[in-house]
Amino acid sequence: MSLVEVSDMYFHYPRARGRGDEVNWTLQEVSLAVTARSTLGIVGESGSGKSTLIRIMCGLLRHQRGAVRFDGRDIGEFKGAGANDLRRRNQIVFQNPRRSLDPRMTIRRSLSEPSRALHDRTPDDDELVISLERVGLGREVLPRFPHQLSGGQLQRIGIARSLSVQPTILYADEPVSALDVSVQAQVLNLLMDLRDELGLTLVVVSHDLGVVSRMCDEVIVMRDGRIVEAGRTDAVLSHPESAYTISLLEAARSVSLERTWEASR
Amino acid sequence: MLELRDLRVHIDGHEIIHIDELDLQPGARLGLVGESGSGKTMTAKAIAGLLPDEAKVSGSVRFDGVDLLTVGDRALSGIRGSKIGFVFQDPARSLNPMMRIGRQVSEAIRLHTRLRGSAVTDKVVELLEQVQLPDPAVLMRRYPHQLSGGQQQRVMIAAAIAADPELLIADEPTTALDVTVQDEILRLLISLSEQRNMSLLFVSHDLGVIRFVCERVAVIYGGKVIETGRIEDVIAAPRHRYTSALLAANPGIPKDDDFSVFIGQRLHTIAGSVPAVGRFPSGCRFRNRCEHQSETCAQSPVPVALDNDHRYYCWNPIGEE
Repeated sequence: MSLVEVSDMYFHYPRARGRGDEVNWTLQEVSLAVTARSTLGIVGESGSGKSTLIRIMCGLLRHQRGAVRFDGRDIGEFKGAGANDLRRRNQIVFQNPRRSLDPRMTIRRSLSEPSRALHDRTPDDDELVISLERVGLGREVLPRFPHQLSGGQLQRIGIARSLSVQPTILYADEPVSALDVSVQAQVLNLLMDLRDELGLTLVVVSHDLGVVSRMCDEVIVMRDGRIVEAGRTDAVLSHPESAYTISLLEAARSVSLERTWEASR
Repeated sequence: MLELRDLRVHIDGHEIIHIDELDLQPGARLGLVGESGSGKTMTAKAIAGLLPDEAKVSGSVRFDGVDLLTVGDRALSGIRGSKIGFVFQDPARSLNPMMRIGRQVSEAIRLHTRLRGSAVTDKVVELLEQVQLPDPAVLMRRYPHQLSGGQQQRVMIAAAIAADPELLIADEPTTALDVTVQDEILRLLISLSEQRNMSLLFVSHDLGVIRFVCERVAVIYGGKVIETGRIEDVIAAPRHRYTSALLAANPGIPKDDDFSVFIGQRLHTIAGSVPAVGRFPSGCRFRNRCEHQSETCAQSPVPVALDNDHRYYCWNPIGEE
């Protein structure tokens, strides 16, 4: 069964109206399904609506038309304690860990925030150490502040923080594009290991086709707020049909290391 | 044309950069590749004399026979911007948001050439055409926010080549752009360099991008060149352990577009992360992250030269196990 189901969904930001009654839709006619324990990749250029889409899927933004269902129920039905549970089960790892962690909070405090917000309970250090060890870090980072840690360490903390409330689905919004090349692979492999170990469903937003093809079972390609192509990753990338996917692949191919130099020109 | 010899930059008592030898020929394209904190941008800034005041610089940076480190501010101003042009990472931050495009480009022309009056406007149109922007006459009257990121970067390139520089330094010029736009800008830089016989010093963290643009590459780690040579030689047969680790960690695109070989595969990782300034080990800067380190690595590696001026600095290189 699908864990998340989006059907014929439309979304616009407040006051995004053109002349007269015309609406400037940010997303149009979006339909997709995420199978439990699978990994979905979302590919597209900046402004295509990728980040908006995942925020709607996890209930942070409300769509205007169509339907979004989580675990078989319409997302609008989650109210009160239900809304808290929806938030707990849908977690996001953001692009820039330096900007998504509060610079004035110790790592101990940042890590305990989700539990405090959702369960009104402050976890003790031993519990926090368990979440840290899961992402390859240890007790010594608890008293530190974000500026004392590297980008890779901070992204691991971002992951530990979202996992601390036992989510069902993890959304990773360009999780490595702010990181060094040598650290990117560590973080991506960690996400794949955790997914397998914890039976997580994963949604990865990325512009890197090499990353998407390694991580994702299925992929959707977005442009101007619409899905232009979707399917099994191997099928979409090895035999692309839309002109846009073909142009993305061509651009990625020019800067690929596998190609011969002459062919890339 | 550009010769770096024993270039050292110290800040707060730390040696940030030490480049023993690096050359760039007229019309050639050299890539500086490294991760953040490797010193690649600092090296580019040292060449341009754009380092902060607290930086202590020694050695020599010879450009057309003139040592840019000792030539003095006035003479340097005559070279910077006219004989050496610059393009930076984020065009939105480099352009003045309050100024029309035409004026920004004409300022560069007035500052670095003798053109005045209507000749300046003609030159602006000509430059905007050369960077393949549509409708230059209309575009000149626009403000930066009315342009896309790719168009903004083309405007920056137009201003950078206004005085026909012999050398263009481009520091991560496409990192903030989408892949399809990146492809267009890279092709533009290559064709400008070929048409004008203009040398290009191209700074990037992405070896794939450098391969597309440049003939030669210098891999920088901990402020030092650890391997340099023709890009095809370095990619086909890297000798330094860090170079090969960087190549393996690149997600890339599979051979012959057969993505099925990638599905479910893990990426190759490099242990640890780039140390903070002043925390690099002595000797080989990479040794604390290297799987092949030995006692000798505590001493500074001596350069080993191969064919086609391929050089590396490693005590336990690949191919000599």
